[in-house]
Amino acid sequence: MTTLPPEFGLDVITAPDVLTIEVVGDLDYETSDELLATVADHLTPDPAFQRLRLDFRGLTWIDSMGLSTLLMVHRRTSATGIALTLDNRPGFLQRMLDLTGTLDHFTATAEGEGEAADSGTGTGTGTGTGTGTGTG
Amino acid sequence: MLVVDRAGGIVEANDAARTVLPDVTGGDGPYENLPDWLTEAHRHMTGGLGATWAEPPSGAIGGRHFEAHPRPGADGDVAWWLIDATDRHLAEETLRREQERAAILSEVSSTLLSSLNVPRCMEVTARLATRHLADAAVLVAPAQGRRHPVTYAQAHGPAVRVTRAVDPATVPGLAEALQGFPPVPTRWIDPGAIPAWAIPEGFEGPVGSVTVTPLPGHGVPAGALILLRSSTVRAFTESENVFARLFAARAGAALSAARLYTEQAAVTATLMQELLPPALGGVHGVDYAGGYRPAQDSERIGGDFYDVHPGADPSQESLVVLGDVAGKGLDAAVLTGKIRNTLHALLPLAHDHQHVLNLLNAALLTSRHTRFATLVLVSARHRAGRVRLRLTSAGHLPPLIVRADGRVEESGTRGNLVGAMPAVSVRTEETVLAPGETCLLYTDGITEARGGPLGGELYGVERLKRALAECAGMPAEAVVERVQMLAAQWLGQGRHDDMAVIAISAPRPRPLTVTGGDMHRGHSGNPGRSGRPGEPGVPGDPGTPHERHGRSA
Repeated sequence: MTTLPPEFGLDVITAPDVLTIEVVGDLDYETSDELLATVADHLTPDPAFQRLRLDFRGLTWIDSMGLSTLLMVHRRTSATGIALTLDNRPGFLQRMLDLTGTLDHFTATAEGEGEAADSGTGTGTGTGTGTGTGTG
Repeated sequence: MLVVDRAGGIVEANDAARTVLPDVTGGDGPYENLPDWLTEAHRHMTGGLGATWAEPPSGAIGGRHFEAHPRPGADGDVAWWLIDATDRHLAEETLRREQERAAILSEVSSTLLSSLNVPRCMEVTARLATRHLADAAVLVAPAQGRRHPVTYAQAHGPAVRVTRAVDPATVPGLAEALQGFPPVPTRWIDPGAIPAWAIPEGFEGPVGSVTVTPLPGHGVPAGALILLRSSTVRAFTESENVFARLFAARAGAALSAARLYTEQAAVTATLMQELLPPALGGVHGVDYAGGYRPAQDSERIGGDFYDVHPGADPSQESLVVLGDVAGKGLDAAVLTGKIRNTLHALLPLAHDHQHVLNLLNAALLTSRHTRFATLVLVSARHRAGRVRLRLTSAGHLPPLIVRADGRVEESGTRGNLVGAMPAVSVRTEETVLAPGETCLLYTDGITEARGGPLGGELYGVERLKRALAECAGMPAEAVVERVQMLAAQWLGQGRHDDMAVIAISAPRPRPLTVTGGDMHRGHSGNPGRSGRPGEPGVPGDPGTPHERHGRSA
């Protein structure tokens, strides 16, 4: 009866000013290094984009190492002055961010950029910036 | 071709046969000048059995190898066609030897790899070497400090293991072999120059030939093998040296694996010793019970931990900590140790959870990683039959409180995880436990246990809450056992992460005749009205209380 989760994969979409990485499958102890490596590859000292969009539409699960990796991605993008958005968050990811009190952290730094870019992010539900409900 | 009559007399031999058998004159007696194997084959033929061999008879004649094919003639004569099969025989001989060697190598691997015990691996290597390669073998392992473990073996003798200060430079090629350099050609080693320590005690006769072969390990050499043959046996051939190197490669890999495993096991054991959750019990009028079930991945130390720090006296709060570190293995173990030590040192400040967590956060922050921990702090104090709790979650699953009437409340405390963000902000919540009420702290190993009737389903907080509703009035220990049991049932045979649970209970007043100490110390005694399901002292539950004080006073 158990259905295997889709295999982990990262789809990188380059657009002017925005780099989108679609995370498909489980982001966990075994796979999260791959995400960090992919982000690191694109974070050159003078990157061609101002915003990194992580799209979680295809995310099936995330564990603590996955969250740790998102925190590292955020640290890296902040250091480079790049805005990070976590888009199309499934319920379990939203709950994890709420529980661990990290949602504000992810959204706060991106705020300035986020509001300006909001019109451009209208790709669907729960775009990371601005729409976060905060801890409550 | 030669024709032999019924009696064994040579009737005719052609020129080729005479070349092969130059002693045949034509006037030979029965079987005279015939090789034994051919004589036997002829008797077999003429004895009425006929040519019933699966393979034609064959054997050596004058240093070459022949096959004999019979053609029965008139009068019981047999014409034997001798075919020179020397080259084929050589090829077959080589093939057989190669097959034998392959079998030996496979035996070496399977014998050695079945043991992860380093001394035993060295003994087996030395013994196998004497069985297949040489009269005696000396295995020199890399130095431990200034001394080398040395294993001696002789054919038909036991292996002897010693650790002694030997100088590898005294055996030509040994120092190099121990550093992993290729072996020195045998002919360069003067058998007379071999020092006494490199010859097993009781070795018969002077040393005739010697080889020194490195045992290549994973990255670092696993040692070197000295093979000795006595002077009465022929020296090592090049092909034997090649085989010795193959043997050494297998042995080295096995030894190296055993050594790595031993080191890893020792590290794990040391860390586990430090990280094992403490035994809990009653402290200052509050009951504590804990349960920890590590992930099956037993080589990896998990990231769950808990501690109970009793207050200095009953009027002081005790601090309970339960947490979960991101990841597993050595990194997680190091972080867990750091958190437990730091919190221990911060105990004097435990009246302000937010302050403690911020200090902890600052101690954990590093630019190298964002490995974080989520944890719950609970300060507990018994007062007039009730237990006052201050609960703070730092990004962790909020504690669940089981009321006497079966209601299950989720604590409203919230806060940030520690170790990855610049600051921690938390909301502490207070509550009071009436007698028989319990506060449960747990890690996500419980709620994220996958299983159930359909398999692959999460256990979840809601199921846990329903299960707890049935635990109203149970003592702390029983609640922990119940939760662990339900999670285990849910999992079935499934894999799981670390699972840690702590229950904090306000003990119910009990008749003074049943003292707490008696109840929990003796496993044989029936706890009477405590209502505990299951057997006492369930294996794997480190939280069996060993002590309780102050409750009935």
